[in-house]
Amino acid sequence: MKGLTTALLASVTMLALSCATPAFAERVLRLDEAPIGEIDPAKGTDYADTVLSINIYDTLVYPKQGGPGVQPLLATEWSIDGLNYTFKLRDGVKFHSGNPLTAEDVVFSYNRLMALQQGFASLFQDRVASVEAVDPLTVKFTLKEAYAPFLAALVRLSVVDKALVMANLADGPHGEFKDYGSAYLSANDAGSGAYKVTGQNPQSETTMAKFDGYFLPFAENAPDTVRYRYGLEASTVRQLISRGEHDIADLWLPPEVIKAMVEEGSVHLALEPGATGEYIKLNTQRAPLDDVHCRLALTHAFDYETSNQLLKVNDEAALGVSMNGALPSGLLGHNPADPPFVKDMEKAKAELAQCKYKPGDYPLDIAWIAEVPARERVALLMQAAFTELGFTVNVTRTPWALVSEQVTQPPTAPHAVEIAVAAVTPDPDSLLFNMYSSTVPPTWMSAEHLKDDEVDKLLIAGRTETDEAKRGEIYSQLNKRLRDLAPAIFAYEFTGVYAVRNGVEVHNLKDATTRYSPASFSMLFKDISVNE
Amino acid sequence: MSARPRSAALESFRSNPISLFGLALVAFCVLAAIFAPWVTPYPTHVGPIGDFAAINAAPSAKHWFGTDTIGRDIFTRVIFGYRLSLTMAVLVLAISVPIGVVLGLVAGYVGGWVEYVIMRLTDVFLAIPPLVLAMSIMGFLPPTLTNAMLAVTAMWWPWYTRLVYNVVRAEAREGYVLAAEVVGASVPHILFREILPNCVPPVLTKITLDIGFVVLMVASLSFLGLGVQPPTPDLGSMVADGAKYMPDAWWLTIFPALSIMVLVLGFNLLGDGLREAFDAEV
Repeated sequence: MKGLTTALLASVTMLALSCATPAFAERVLRLDEAPIGEIDPAKGTDYADTVLSINIYDTLVYPKQGGPGVQPLLATEWSIDGLNYTFKLRDGVKFHSGNPLTAEDVVFSYNRLMALQQGFASLFQDRVASVEAVDPLTVKFTLKEAYAPFLAALVRLSVVDKALVMANLADGPHGEFKDYGSAYLSANDAGSGAYKVTGQNPQSETTMAKFDGYFLPFAENAPDTVRYRYGLEASTVRQLISRGEHDIADLWLPPEVIKAMVEEGSVHLALEPGATGEYIKLNTQRAPLDDVHCRLALTHAFDYETSNQLLKVNDEAALGVSMNGALPSGLLGHNPADPPFVKDMEKAKAELAQCKYKPGDYPLDIAWIAEVPARERVALLMQAAFTELGFTVNVTRTPWALVSEQVTQPPTAPHAVEIAVAAVTPDPDSLLFNMYSSTVPPTWMSAEHLKDDEVDKLLIAGRTETDEAKRGEIYSQLNKRLRDLAPAIFAYEFTGVYAVRNGVEVHNLKDATTRYSPASFSMLFKDISVNE
Repeated sequence: MSARPRSAALESFRSNPISLFGLALVAFCVLAAIFAPWVTPYPTHVGPIGDFAAINAAPSAKHWFGTDTIGRDIFTRVIFGYRLSLTMAVLVLAISVPIGVVLGLVAGYVGGWVEYVIMRLTDVFLAIPPLVLAMSIMGFLPPTLTNAMLAVTAMWWPWYTRLVYNVVRAEAREGYVLAAEVVGASVPHILFREILPNCVPPVLTKITLDIGFVVLMVASLSFLGLGVQPPTPDLGSMVADGAKYMPDAWWLTIFPALSIMVLVLGFNLLGDGLREAFDAEV
């Protein structure tokens, strides 16, 4: 009897062992982000969408590794002749379908993006006169007028497989192109990127598999399969990683949770600074903040140090660093040597004395965005600082939908609201123009409603000047001007902090020389090693 | 009719230790809520204020229940949360009980098409799960305290209509009602002076049980972000806000959740005790 039991036990153990070690170990990478995950590159705009598009699709150029500007990707070289931008395409690139990638596909992708009018179409709106395929490996864009940020904007033009999309059209308003593959591409991929989609549910998960025909090398132990999950609770992510069932956490965990995971020894941190500013936008059209001295008083009174303290994970990492102007790091015009903002009540009081309004007469309305609980802390910090100056401060929790509507009505919009704005291309224009040009219709990005002739002039100069060095000069001048005008409290520069399970390495986030700016362009799955 | 059965009820209640325990819990919560500004260590922590030096501190002698993500004392906020929960519960029931009782009396006694309309409307409300109904009401109203209260009120009255209706249907055939009719008493007199007193025991029992449920419902709404807005201390929102810090900063969630449990348990035990006591009377 005992012998039988032992034999049974042994065979069960053998069975378990053989299940645990399959013929070859498939490397799986599991990450998560906030829903929803849009895989159509002509529709996506947010963080998750960008990570999906850079892994599934390719673009003519890519943000430059370790600095501002762009580097070749599908285009091996390009020439700029006045308004003509001519790109030579890499030979032999194949889509996941096996179709070759040609200039025709680039033209089709551009037309598709503009026809659908979603996603990043606005980057090219009214800029491009024509796009043509000169030959199968040459594509030429002709602009309507000089527009220096155009090259950087191309990091948002993902190239789709024309033949595959045309074979999968559904009914739609675009003539012979019907729906332009809108339905098909939200559920399937037509890309040439390092990973191909094997399953898509925008609310729960996108699964991807390594594309062996990719033209760039993969890191050692790059994942064979990627599971990109949406909408996991912070406490769920924390538990999954502790148990080794999840690899890279999303960026929205509270610092305390990240800290607990580090202390537990299950993760290491990978940092992604740059290109996103947390702006406490001051309403420059509403008294008392229409007086620059009142605004400067607030910028000197804000407690930057405590704010940084609240973002701290441990001695090595924090969810943000101090800013020293309107431009976050990683963008042209940012000067690392400028001193960061610090709280200085003496200066604040001196500025307030020059302001034409008395603080007691004007209660300040501060809104914080209901969906981001951490913003309550910053709102309360503001309240403490401004109360110290003699203002009465009302703090209101406001849902994002309401804030984004309120701020378009300057006379009644809150005096201050913290909003994060990110550069969407590796060019400072993509950040500053929509925020500070008086010609742009009011949006949440321009909640300051700044009207300043010199700022307008510099913004236009930055767009039309094509010489990189001169542009750098223009943007640093603009950065200085914005510091003097104080349209916002430049609270801190957002730093993405990824908790990465030990045994997984995100090589692109090693240091400043390996990163790609703006945010999320470093998250190339092919450059991640899943070692164990 | 009064003296003897009532003392039987009281006797039954007094001899039931579980009911007395419920009563003690309720008394504790209610007294704490009433005297919140005097019994809590940090009454200013109810408002928009942060103590950034003491964020997420674990329970200690200084902060019995620890502090929250902006450094406020959780014990203080729980006690003030009781205040809000109980006020909400009393207000909700103060509005929905009279409405429900009157509709039930009328439907049960008058009958005919009046009964038909009232009872079918009641059925419609009862057919929809209460939380779903409240959520859909909150869906098109701004998330404020008053609206949360209205939403809960709107779904609470039908229960009382149904309860009183059933009692009235039974009582209307009793001799004392017929006697009143024979001597020509008016309908309001029969409804409110003759029948209503007999509805009091079951209604009172249900109110006691319901306070707990209303507290839970309000907590559920604010857990989902639809009810009370910060910085007003509210038990449901405290549980929700703390959830993402589990399991490390467990005190953010556990203490508010336990506090909800204590309050609801107290009212349920008390309600059960009352029901048994009134049954003993019959």
